[in-house]
Amino acid sequence: MSRASDFAAEAPAPLRAIRAPSRLASLGRWFAEPGVVAAAPLALLMLGGFLGPLLLVVVFAFMPGGTFSILQVPTLANFVEIVANSYYLSFLASLWLAALTVVICLVVCYPVAFAMVRVFGRHGSILALLITAPLFVADNLRLMGWVLFLVKGGVVSGSLQTWFGIEVDSMLYTSGATLFGLVYIYLPFMLFPIIMGISMVPEQMREAAFDLGATRFQVLREVDVPLAMPGILIGSLMTFILAAGSLTEARTLGGNAVTMIAMDIQKEFGFAQNWPKGSALAVLMILLAGALAVTALKRIDLDLIFGRK
Amino acid sequence: MKRKNLLQSFSQSRREFLHMSAAIAGSIAASSTMSRSAFAARENELNIYCWEGYNSDKVLDPFRKEFKTNVKAQGLISDPDAVNKLRAGETKVWDIINLNNAWGRRQLFPENLIVPLDQARFKPKWDMVLPEFKWPYYWAMSNDGKNLLGMVQRFGPSGVNVNTDKISRETVQNDGYEIFLADDFKGKYAVLMYDDWVIMHLCMACGFSPFDNLSDAQIATYETAMRKLINNAAFLSDDMNAIALGMVNGSIIGSFPGSTYTVSAARFDGNANLRCVIPKKGPNNKPGVCWMELTSTVNNPELSPRAADFLEYCYRPEVCKNVSFAEGTYNPVTQMGDKRVMALYSKEELDAIQFDTLDEDMALCSDFDIIPNYPKLHEIFATAVRERKA
Repeated sequence: MSRASDFAAEAPAPLRAIRAPSRLASLGRWFAEPGVVAAAPLALLMLGGFLGPLLLVVVFAFMPGGTFSILQVPTLANFVEIVANSYYLSFLASLWLAALTVVICLVVCYPVAFAMVRVFGRHGSILALLITAPLFVADNLRLMGWVLFLVKGGVVSGSLQTWFGIEVDSMLYTSGATLFGLVYIYLPFMLFPIIMGISMVPEQMREAAFDLGATRFQVLREVDVPLAMPGILIGSLMTFILAAGSLTEARTLGGNAVTMIAMDIQKEFGFAQNWPKGSALAVLMILLAGALAVTALKRIDLDLIFGRK
Repeated sequence: MKRKNLLQSFSQSRREFLHMSAAIAGSIAASSTMSRSAFAARENELNIYCWEGYNSDKVLDPFRKEFKTNVKAQGLISDPDAVNKLRAGETKVWDIINLNNAWGRRQLFPENLIVPLDQARFKPKWDMVLPEFKWPYYWAMSNDGKNLLGMVQRFGPSGVNVNTDKISRETVQNDGYEIFLADDFKGKYAVLMYDDWVIMHLCMACGFSPFDNLSDAQIATYETAMRKLINNAAFLSDDMNAIALGMVNGSIIGSFPGSTYTVSAARFDGNANLRCVIPKKGPNNKPGVCWMELTSTVNNPELSPRAADFLEYCYRPEVCKNVSFAEGTYNPVTQMGDKRVMALYSKEELDAIQFDTLDEDMALCSDFDIIPNYPKLHEIFATAVRERKA
């Protein structure tokens, strides 16, 4: 129970009687505001568009396996089946690879972002453009490019063989190749929030730290990283959730060496034609990602980031 | 003068605004009514749901121009998925559905999801087909033999694909699928992840037909074999070209399963050593599985009149060739029974689709059919993939 409601509960009865209608009245007035009225149709459309499909997935998760109707008697059988089988392997693989992707992207992106903000000056935008440009090409096309690069006889192994006589087998179809694909695809999603985070660190704060005798490492640890933390957390969260829900990298570069949870979900909706089980897997994944997002966002002051404080 | 922001610059009174809003709303409503009546006939619109190839511009562009029709085509990812989409109400979306042979007769027509074709118009077209597809072709007719459910065009045998420089066609034919399940073949093949086809061929490899009801003992045998097949594979991929590339560069020797069309593009590209082979050992002496696509008109309440035109168009000799050699997937077509169609093929093209052994390969194949134990067999397959020890 919130503090406000505690206060209301403890308040003398006449005061409660006065306060309750005034709240209702103010809510009524708020609904009558022209802005709220004007935004209502779009808000309803957005609610229907975003929540409708999600709600359908949740309802399907509780339907008996193999059915295509949501008018069946609800059951927990899909969840029981998921727990009883080895789906935990897909969840673990997805979470583990996503966590590794976040760590690698962090290690790569922080120095790059720092250089773009603090070192390159105006030239940083050229680098940003170069990093953004591949985003205009579809993921699977870019991954196909890497297939041609890494496959046996491809650009890497073919060049090594031709120029140095070194025979290299295919570098594809391993969990390492999957991880490489994840890092490559989701790197920009880490980089740009970190750039934003580093931009938020006031230069004067760093200078003050140096003036007080801090070493470079101390400035990094005590000033740069803590103040850039909102960007780092947002980047990590986005990268983690996107990587955990990915499937193309594991399929195209990884050759199914590991099964990601999204692959299991797609299989249930596709070849298995078991929409309820696919929905139950999706619900579990949404809950997992949602819990993570809520936990991370609790540590971030969005108002500060968007300059409202 | 006070500067106005963007919204304030619209200097209408409330009354003018209401008038204009009413006029806009009225015209939107009117246009939607008009478009509904205009689209009622759908004379210039055609929606096709098909396997890859029929959605290629090579096939569709001439039709678009000649019939002045806006054709939208979407490739499908699996037969059951497409069937269930029609069941879920997409009969209102599609005019043409193109699926493997069994679905029309077994499920689509009995469930009223497709409509029969006009036999007076389409029966003469069957004069063009190869002898084994002659009228009345089993998979094109309803159970009572009275209704024509669709037209058959692309077809092909399916077994395994191998690099014949590494392992001869005769060896694979004689030793059968067991080669792929042998320990010394570990890491030398890829599994082509068309789930239902892996399941069908593995049942054949285990010595029983996937189209029969399987006993618990047979399912246990299948599970053991499936785990071995998946664990021993060099990689699993749903990209037939990636697998063909693996065979070209020598990282693998074969593909399980493999069909003519999964290797025909590589063969046409000069890799004649890659070949689809149908083993001789297996249930009923038909251990391969052949597929024939049936293209039907959907039971759409506003079926486009162009749907039947499209089916007829696909039987023109030059279109048959274009369907046969659509981008990235080359297949034999049933109309190769017509001299005008055959005359359009070069020797290289016939080699690409293994026309030299086509009759022999087809004779070793069971017709694709519905798999009675599919949910259980698929669950075993999916579990083996998830628990794969790569």
